Amino acid sequence: MTSNENVLEIKNISVCFDGFYALTDVRTNVKRHTIHFFIGPNGAGKTTLLDIICAKTKPTAGNIMYYPEGREPMRLTGMKEYKIVREGIGRKFQVPSVFVNLTVLDNMILSLKGHKGIMDSIFGKPSEEELKSIDEVLEKVGLLDKKDVRAGSLAHGQKQWLEIGMQLVQKPEIIMLDEPAAGMGKPETFRTGEILKKIKDECTVIVIEHDMDFVKQAADTVTVLHEGKILMEGDINDVLADKTVQSVYLGRGGEK
Amino acid sequence: MNKLIKKQGSNICFGVIAVVLAVMPLLYSAGLMNSSTVLFLGKCTAFAIAAMGIDLIWGYTGILSLGHGLYFALGGYAMAMYLKLQSTGGKITDFMHTGGLTELPLAWKPFLNLPLSLIMVIVVPAAVSGVIGYFIFKSRVKGVYFSIISQALTWAAYSIFIALSPYTNGNVGITEIKSIFGSIKGESNKSRMFLLFYVALAVMIGVYALCKFLVGRKFGKLLIAIRDGENRTYFSGYKVSSYKTFVYVLSAVIAAVAGAVFVNFNGSITPSQMTISYSITMVIWVAIGGRGTIIGAVIGAFLINLCEYNLSSGAMVEIWQYIIGAVFCITILFFKGGIVGFVKDQLPEMIASRKNKKAKTEKASAEKVKA
Repeated sequence: MTSNENVLEIKNISVCFDGFYALTDVRTNVKRHTIHFFIGPNGAGKTTLLDIICAKTKPTAGNIMYYPEGREPMRLTGMKEYKIVREGIGRKFQVPSVFVNLTVLDNMILSLKGHKGIMDSIFGKPSEEELKSIDEVLEKVGLLDKKDVRAGSLAHGQKQWLEIGMQLVQKPEIIMLDEPAAGMGKPETFRTGEILKKIKDECTVIVIEHDMDFVKQAADTVTVLHEGKILMEGDINDVLADKTVQSVYLGRGGEK
Repeated sequence: MNKLIKKQGSNICFGVIAVVLAVMPLLYSAGLMNSSTVLFLGKCTAFAIAAMGIDLIWGYTGILSLGHGLYFALGGYAMAMYLKLQSTGGKITDFMHTGGLTELPLAWKPFLNLPLSLIMVIVVPAAVSGVIGYFIFKSRVKGVYFSIISQALTWAAYSIFIALSPYTNGNVGITEIKSIFGSIKGESNKSRMFLLFYVALAVMIGVYALCKFLVGRKFGKLLIAIRDGENRTYFSGYKVSSYKTFVYVLSAVIAAVAGAVFVNFNGSITPSQMTISYSITMVIWVAIGGRGTIIGAVIGAFLINLCEYNLSSGAMVEIWQYIIGAVFCITILFFKGGIVGFVKDQLPEMIASRKNKKAKTEKASAEKVKA
């Protein structure tokens, strides 16, 4: 087993929906413990790429290799959706989906790794250790004081953070977020960025986002997609300075 | 104090109901009540048990079963078959004679023996609901589709029970039976009736404790999670279909136990307990009492049945069904949480908003005075 600084290698991925290429020969690597942003105009193929990583969509060509820390690498292409989740790749969808009638704490307890059986849920209790890890995660996402609040009464932003927390408590290797800052105000977006910076010590974060201030604040690496192809990749300053990127994306009202 | 009521409210309420029920036989002994009321309260106890099971599957898990009358009747029939054989002394019954049978059918054999009969009260509905639940939930049938299927199955079972008349006495059902402790009719058998009544009460308390225990654990939270976001629950790694099947079987068994208790008080069981309208009535108790609370089911079952008992005699008998229908509609439209939800959530809100309004108008008038 070779140690590899990449946690994910996306190799020559193409996807074709009825003759339309949503992605063409996309190849990029995601480095361990970084925040990797995918940006690009609508229809650039960002969400499709996430769908392929978590096996919701099958690629027409190419494959994806996953290098979990201290374990054998595995080929994600062709694996079952739920297995990928169990191997440590979590995904948060665009719309916040928390259990609205349960407290924040209960939401977290239900998301703990393991204990999924019926008997376990009747007689089992989360261990001290697990409760401690829940507290730690809640602290990180800034919801520790909201522990006993019904999740449904949280503000929109807080729900998003709770959901990030629910992913984190499963101790994933990679977490993928689809527009986590959508619908958030400036201060909330900023806090989300700070939360992501905190959690990258534990896992790799892949984010799709439109808000350029948010990208500037949090990104380690940015990949710009355009019409299913990689336009360029680099750190945020390179990307902002690039003429082509400016013309296809930033120049078209992408500044905000 | 306030906190205590908030936290333990339903347990306190249940305690009060249990104590009031426990006093009833004493009132009867003192001559303040007639025996038929006590018998009726015994039946209500059975209804409350069934309602708690329905609250688990509908109130907590969000699966609207319109066929729990089937399981209620299965439990009732199992009990009634034992009791019938007790009164015939193990010989074949009149309706079997009429149906052309000469010896006791195999299906009736287990009911010669009390422990075996009690096991059958639980095993038969558990097996039936287990098979039905497994296939329905595995293929992810949900919502109204489930409700329709549950109705259809109940209808099918009803038809079968009527068609198998030599075995079940068809439309008439199993009648002229005594309770498990012997005859409970008449003044001389008062002590037996009391014993039966307290056993029923104990069963109700036991079922309440079980339901409360379950919903207090992570299991209960999971049921709510399934109700509110089934897909999310799948994504969190839970096998939702096994949970649903488990709750379905559990609530079916609870309904069957209720049916068995009911038969003892009623002295007969007929296929009408298996009909769809009877199943829907049970759902109405839970809706009006307040779903997703357990205590609401108990309150609803007692309240509706007591109203029916008192109002459906005399002039009200013809319009009672309309009244209950109207109450049900009003509950669904305006008081989604039923009685419990109204007392717990809506009433405090109303009081708070009235206080606010009052404070505002006072403030406004004070300002007017100033000006």
